[in-house]
Amino acid sequence: MNEARSIKQNSLPDALPNFRNLGVTLRILLLSNAIALLVAVIKARGWQDFLLQMLQIIALLTPITLSSLLLLGLLQPWLYRLGYGRGVLAANVSVSGLALFVYYLGGELYQPDLDGAAYFDVLRCVSLSVAMCSLLLMYFRLRARGLSLSLEDAHLQVLRARIRPHFLFNTINAVLGIVRAEPKRAETALEDMADLFRMAMAEAQDLVLVQQEIQLSQQYIALEQLRMGDRLSVDWQVLDMPDDALIPVLLLQPLLENAVYHGIESLIEGGCIQVMLRRNGGTLQIRVGNPCPTAGGEPHLGNKIALKNIRERLSLLFDAEASYQVIRGADYYRVEITLPYVKEKRHDHNRTGFARLHR
Amino acid sequence: MTTIELALRVFIVDDETPARNRLRELLDDCNEQLPLVVVGEAANGQEALDKLAETPADVVLLDIRMPQMDGIELARHLCKLLRPPVFIFTTAYDAYAIKAFELHAIDYLLKPIRLGRLFDALSRARNAVPVQTEVLRELLPEARKHLSIHERGKIHLIPIEAVLFMRAELKYITVRTAEREYLIEESLTALEKEFATRFVRIHRNCLVAKDAIVGFERGGEEGESGWQVRLKGLDERMAISRRQQYIVKEFS
Repeated sequence: MNEARSIKQNSLPDALPNFRNLGVTLRILLLSNAIALLVAVIKARGWQDFLLQMLQIIALLTPITLSSLLLLGLLQPWLYRLGYGRGVLAANVSVSGLALFVYYLGGELYQPDLDGAAYFDVLRCVSLSVAMCSLLLMYFRLRARGLSLSLEDAHLQVLRARIRPHFLFNTINAVLGIVRAEPKRAETALEDMADLFRMAMAEAQDLVLVQQEIQLSQQYIALEQLRMGDRLSVDWQVLDMPDDALIPVLLLQPLLENAVYHGIESLIEGGCIQVMLRRNGGTLQIRVGNPCPTAGGEPHLGNKIALKNIRERLSLLFDAEASYQVIRGADYYRVEITLPYVKEKRHDHNRTGFARLHR
Repeated sequence: MTTIELALRVFIVDDETPARNRLRELLDDCNEQLPLVVVGEAANGQEALDKLAETPADVVLLDIRMPQMDGIELARHLCKLLRPPVFIFTTAYDAYAIKAFELHAIDYLLKPIRLGRLFDALSRARNAVPVQTEVLRELLPEARKHLSIHERGKIHLIPIEAVLFMRAELKYITVRTAEREYLIEESLTALEKEFATRFVRIHRNCLVAKDAIVGFERGGEEGESGWQVRLKGLDERMAISRRQQYIVKEFS
């Protein structure tokens, strides 16, 4: 429990993007080329000239962006340690320094008419680099803010699911139904219920140990099994899962809840939910599959909201490095998630929230 | 009537075992002041129909939300029993149903169920009049999932997906599935309205399942040269009346 607390944050502070993330790298390249395109449009005098301008700008820009990305990737741990404000400053300084370096190294390529004022060239180079770098960082900050709402949302949704009358009153009724005959079991059920509520009310955090999420999911399943009895079973397959692996909080439990609520519960014979968690090299794979009624056409609205939230959080935390897939058959439903294997850093995590995506 | 009160026969329908336990315990508690006997319990609609056909009950405690068939649909089928029982519905929360129950003064219990409320409902049940099928129809806004027929003391369920066509004949309606025919006593107009998404009217007296249509043919007897419908697994061709000819275009 202590470990959980230590990686918990009150709210997500602004953080520099993870420059080692493939998605972030792609976004930076795409956006910087988009700016190049705009400049080419402004400078162009015709179609052919536009292409020429475009090629010229990209040829000059790419060495700078690529080397900057490399540098920022290398400096990443140091940048994170600085905190957001100073990190931004350091990123700007290093990028413009690098741009100047490439500019002078490029020689004639970058300065075709050497008679221009050197002082002006330096100023232009630095201000353009700073502008570009700040613009991109601002974009990442806004994007992270937009998506981090989904994290708060995840907790709200889980809380809402707990107080959904169908769950709450039926569970209380079920506990009352066993309290005379099996008082011990009733005790455990109430304890599980308290834990599930506590988790839903906990402060927003992003990553937890896989084991914690599994435990929470098992408590949830135990409560549903109390009501549904033999109709609900779960086949857990946790293969080669390291103890220090972290996954987004409330990722597995809502998936199981969907499987129960939209699958098993409407089947008269019930069914078995297949849960598979596996480490595969540098990635973690999570798969939740369940049988579902054939006739019951379109998926529920609640279902869509929960899945949308999970998608948004994966995108916030891992960008393009996480994938998410829903496979819907005639009588089964399966969600498959792949995300990078993030290790818990035992001594690093107290410092700031920035350590949270350290690999 | 008589001063000796017969024990009230109670039957429990709920898909959740602990919920049935809870009701049995509470009924046991009621037993001290109100003579009653639990004659059986069921976890789903089909089981309830089978058991109640054999052991009649005065009161059925019915959960609304169940897989396969909800409690209100089950109540509609149970109305076909020779002596329909009084229903007391149980639910954790179903805003729509609760409003309707209150409107029609039908008893319901909210889960978690309280002893006092159960006792009151049971005391009233002795003098209650069984609900009318029409009222139950209003309670359930969606279409039923099954049709039911009363045959040799038992109630049979016909899943609505299995029905190929329904044709009005004299007093009854013939319901045809791939296997056999059944006779039910309902109005074709009401059936058409209830299952509008599944069936299409091809004739004044006939509804056919849209899914079962495999083709249309020209032809007919007695000089009528209108269209006919061919249905999956049936040799019989169903005539389309002149007024309904337009559906041929809609389907092909």
